[in-house]
Amino acid sequence: MSRFILALVLAVSGGMPAFAQDGKQIVEEAQRRARSGSQRYEGTLQVIDAKTKVTEKRWVFDRIGSHGNSKAVLRFTAPAEVKGMALLIVNHPDRSSDQWMWTPSLARERRIAMQDRSTRFFGTDFSFEDLEERDTNQFDYKLLAEESFVGTPCWKIESRPKSTKSSQYTHSILWIRKDNYVLAQIENFRNAGLIRRIKYSDIRSVQGFWTAHTTEVEDLKRNSRTVLKLEKLQYNLPMKDEDFTLQAIRREG
Amino acid sequence: MIDLNRVSKVFDGKRRATALENVELHIPRGEVVSIVGPSGSGKSTLLNLIGGLDRPSSGEIRIEGENLAQLSDDGLTRVRRDKIGFIFQFFNLLPTLNCLENVALPLHLRNWPRKKIEDRANELLDLVQLGHRVEHLPEELSGGERQRVAIARALSVYPPILLADEPTGNLDSRTGEEILRLIQDLHARLGSTVLIVTHDMGVAAQCARTIRLRDGRIEGDNRR
Amino acid sequence: MMLLRLLSWPYLKKHVLRWALTIAGIVLGVAVFVAMHVANRSVHAAFEKTVQKIAGSAQLQVSAGEFGFPEEVLEQVQNVPEVGVAVPVIESTVETGIRTQGSILILGIDMTGDRSLRDYELDSADESIIDDPLVFLAQPDSLLITREFAERNGLALNAKIPLFTVQGEKQFTVRGIMSSTGMAQAFGGNLAIMDIYALQLVLGRGRRFDRIEIKAKDGVRLDECKAAVQRAVGPGFEIDPPSSRGQHFDALMQSYTTATGVSSLFAMVVGMFIIYNSFSIAVTQRRSEIGILRALGATRSQVQRLFLLESVVAGFLGSMLGVLAGMGMAVGVSSYMGDLTEQVVGVAQRLDELAVDPWLIVGALAIGIGTSVVAAWIPARSAARVDPIQALQKGKYQVLSAGENRRRRAGAAVLVVISGVCLFFNNWKPAFYTGYILMILAGLLIAPAVSLLLAKALRPALKKFLPAEGTLAADSLIQSPRRTSATVSALMLSLAMVVGFGGFTNSIYVSMDEWMSTALNPDFFVAHSANLTNRSITFPAEVGQTIESVEGVDQVQLVRDARVIYGGTPIMVVSVETEKLLSKVKRVPLAGNSKEMHALTAAGKGAIISDGFSSMRHVTLGDMLDIPTPSGLLKLPVAGVIRDYSDLQGAVFIDRSVYLKYWNDTTVNVVRVYLRKDADAAEVKRRITDSLSGKYRLLVMTNSEVRAYVLKLMDQWFSMTYNQIAVAILVAVLGIVNTLTVSITDRRRELGVMQAVGGLRNQIRRTVWLEAIGIGIIGLVLGMGLGAVNLYYSLGMIQRDLGGLDLDYIYPVGFMSLMIPTILSAAFIAAVGPAESAVRGSLVEALEYE
Repeated sequence: MSRFILALVLAVSGGMPAFAQDGKQIVEEAQRRARSGSQRYEGTLQVIDAKTKVTEKRWVFDRIGSHGNSKAVLRFTAPAEVKGMALLIVNHPDRSSDQWMWTPSLARERRIAMQDRSTRFFGTDFSFEDLEERDTNQFDYKLLAEESFVGTPCWKIESRPKSTKSSQYTHSILWIRKDNYVLAQIENFRNAGLIRRIKYSDIRSVQGFWTAHTTEVEDLKRNSRTVLKLEKLQYNLPMKDEDFTLQAIRREG
Repeated sequence: MIDLNRVSKVFDGKRRATALENVELHIPRGEVVSIVGPSGSGKSTLLNLIGGLDRPSSGEIRIEGENLAQLSDDGLTRVRRDKIGFIFQFFNLLPTLNCLENVALPLHLRNWPRKKIEDRANELLDLVQLGHRVEHLPEELSGGERQRVAIARALSVYPPILLADEPTGNLDSRTGEEILRLIQDLHARLGSTVLIVTHDMGVAAQCARTIRLRDGRIEGDNRR
Repeated sequence: MMLLRLLSWPYLKKHVLRWALTIAGIVLGVAVFVAMHVANRSVHAAFEKTVQKIAGSAQLQVSAGEFGFPEEVLEQVQNVPEVGVAVPVIESTVETGIRTQGSILILGIDMTGDRSLRDYELDSADESIIDDPLVFLAQPDSLLITREFAERNGLALNAKIPLFTVQGEKQFTVRGIMSSTGMAQAFGGNLAIMDIYALQLVLGRGRRFDRIEIKAKDGVRLDECKAAVQRAVGPGFEIDPPSSRGQHFDALMQSYTTATGVSSLFAMVVGMFIIYNSFSIAVTQRRSEIGILRALGATRSQVQRLFLLESVVAGFLGSMLGVLAGMGMAVGVSSYMGDLTEQVVGVAQRLDELAVDPWLIVGALAIGIGTSVVAAWIPARSAARVDPIQALQKGKYQVLSAGENRRRRAGAAVLVVISGVCLFFNNWKPAFYTGYILMILAGLLIAPAVSLLLAKALRPALKKFLPAEGTLAADSLIQSPRRTSATVSALMLSLAMVVGFGGFTNSIYVSMDEWMSTALNPDFFVAHSANLTNRSITFPAEVGQTIESVEGVDQVQLVRDARVIYGGTPIMVVSVETEKLLSKVKRVPLAGNSKEMHALTAAGKGAIISDGFSSMRHVTLGDMLDIPTPSGLLKLPVAGVIRDYSDLQGAVFIDRSVYLKYWNDTTVNVVRVYLRKDADAAEVKRRITDSLSGKYRLLVMTNSEVRAYVLKLMDQWFSMTYNQIAVAILVAVLGIVNTLTVSITDRRRELGVMQAVGGLRNQIRRTVWLEAIGIGIIGLVLGMGLGAVNLYYSLGMIQRDLGGLDLDYIYPVGFMSLMIPTILSAAFIAAVGPAESAVRGSLVEALEYE
């Protein structure tokens, strides 16, 4: 769970222009530029299904620490049915993250044991895998072309998981903006078929971090899409470690 | 006593067979009548109709003035049990009952008191000179003895009418004569009306009246 | 084959009614056999299907009986390297408030966990199954139901379903609908999925799971995985493939299936006698025909083959019809058995289709035809032995020769002696059953001789009663033993079965009553539902304190019971507050010393076992029990054996303190409440209900309600067997009809003479009725006699192999005195038809009949 949020955030964080020789270096540079000590935003998530039914949720997101050692709390604020539910994510550099969910109506937290990464994330069009932090060493990258995407020059990079890395996708294609190293689009394939497309837009600099404020995922199989909008985004706020514990999420709930 | 008015009997089978056709007959009380004719002439049918074992297809049969056609099955049975005694060619004794029980059977069916039944049955067996074989089963008796038991049974309530279907047909001629003599004797003593179906002209010759049947019609009616 | 068409067909046409009756015998026998087996199989299959559908692709299940285990075990299992996927499950049937639906099986699973084991989401889904997973988790009233259930009840997303939870009737919300494939087929579609943590609350379970389902890591062998998990969790856990639940289920049902099996066998044997009867009669009636055949050069074996072929045809027809009828019956029987398993065994499953094993059909056909052929064997042989010269002479039918009778009597004597010898080796199973079978055979062998004797004894009595009709009726019985004895034997067998069964139920009711008045003596029982066998809903022990503080309550005892797997099959573990129990219940142990037994148990140093457990598991006083618990094996010596009927599988009583310690669970499922002497029961009951209202929805049942409930269960348990007995009697009555039909044909002339000499129609009827009643009386006498023997062996069988109950031999006098009018009126009813046809028909023909 945390990885998703982190990846989301890291992926949309901006950076400075640089020269890059190969795909892997470009992706690593993009990740480096997104790195920050803490982050907070208020998110609005809209799921628009095939019948154009819209469901909306809002949350407040806090993160402390950076890549590999971060902790995050995601607390839902709307709608009423889910208000007060909270997720605590503790990342580890060497193993998969620990995740807990607090359900106020049951007055208990549960451990989330996510074992299948292709599962959709709570009814959105993101799969859990889409939301993971990418360890660049687990993928092979190939710079396919340099082309313009929505009027901005981009690198078009193909990434394929190494044989040791399991993935629901056979390969993905990434568009990374040349000007600020921000991810503009990802297309995920299974064999020749395009399964998901993630578009990043409304890219603005916040405290020097270039961040996409709108992320749109499209599930081409289900013909539905999910839009995440960030508001009140702030970086490097002073946060306390003890606010990222099970006791803390119980208390707040 | 016995009146038949245009009595016909038709058997419906695969082939319609007329057994009796427009038979008119009057038999007064106390008469001994023999009915003769070749086989298939309808003589047994006639006897069965008179005995109420069967019903005519048309016509009227009256026994002591009572019209059999108007009676129910049980009504017919009552006529049989009170007025008619049957003697069959094959005796028709019940094999599992001893002589006394066989003779007592009709009396039991009339629900007589036990004591009275026993007295009467013994009396009847004495009458047919079988008083010494009371406990014997039919299979232990000779043919003549069996027929005598059957006669005793037929006489159980001293019915006014005695019907005999070939009573000697299954017996050797000497025994047959004995039986016939017994019937004559009983007639003399009890005064019953007796009808004997026979193909034995010797038997017929001993009867006061002989009715000759052929093809379901009365061919001759002779009084001696 | 030619002969069959030439000779059998005309005979058959002439005696359509008789053949119909004969075939009816086979039809009933086969139908009962098929119905019972199909029903057993279907119930089993429905259970297995539910298990399998629910288990999905899980390879192993970790469980600790019905008690469940603390959540922490999950982590231990997940940390085992050989384990690929491990997910927790709670499963329970819950009463729905929808009137026509009854209960629904709710599966609690971790919705955030792995879904690779179960597929409740469609691959090709173009709409999400769960409307909003986050809402589903956030709201504890969320339910995921099957499309079938939704359609049946007109439920759409966000519709409300009332369910009876531990807190009373609560509204739940449909937040997802599963497609009708895969798991949704479990429990006949009456399946709902809930978040496991929400379900814990609903069922009052505390932080416990029922089981953990496991898929081994790729490349790890199942036995390796199993061994590794066993090491991690300890010996108190069962780690088995999901299919083992089917075996446990079978074990629970075993005594029932055996009982129904035995009685359907009886029905079959009774049917066999009807066939035997028919063929014997046919052979006697067709003697002249056989004589002509033999005179024309037919060999003995040709004649024999003719009759056997006829029996094959009759058997085939009867079996086919029987299979069809049985399938029809199975529908009703299965749903009855479905209810039964839920009510009595407490294992719910829901039948949606009949499971028909083609081999069962083949088997039923084989049994039907086999029975028919075996039954026709002796008549066919005697047909072959017909002497052509004698047969062509008109005359009386052959009667059973004296020699034959003597041989039979001698044979019977030998059998009785052998079974007598077997009695001395009763402990050895084959000897016991050999003795049983030989005794029944001996009964069958001497039945003709005894029935002849009885008929002779009846003659004077009947003669006294109705001199003409009675004598003739008795004579008819005496004269043709062949005609009567098979029917009498069939009746005898049916009644012997009735005695055995009636005696057994009688004894058990007597013992149960005694048990209930000593052990079930509290004034009130407080539980979640009136169905006391449903133990899946529990409540906290504090309920006990609440009740104890109610004015008028003298004492409260907490009970928690559930099944655990002991030595591979389920047993009942009952935890009680021993000291309190002792103060109220005085039980005399069958083995052990009362004081010591209670002291040891109360101190947690011993356990009390039921007599059933003792005899089925061959455990007695002083033996060590190894009871599996989540904290490892609980080793307790047997401190005493008591007579107890808590469970058919046998029960083990431990002290509540032991339960708390080893199961680490404080929940309760029954509270026994004793009132003060002067308390007004109705008033206290009201106060208890008031004290609990708002928090728990618990039922306060009075002592008599609980007793009535237990008796109702017993009745339910037995009613199917009662029905089978009814069938057996019906078959026997069909035999009477058959015999009488022949009898009046044979005696047509005799009856004609009777009418000719003045017998009224009612008098003729009466003699036929009396013959039937004569058969009834003889059958009753023989049946009651053989029944006494059968009862002895039945009780032995029950103690030995079914339930292990040690029951007193009590001859069911009351029950059997009910059977006398029943059988006699049945015989009378059987005689009505034949009697009518006896008074109809032409007298003239009857008198000439040869």
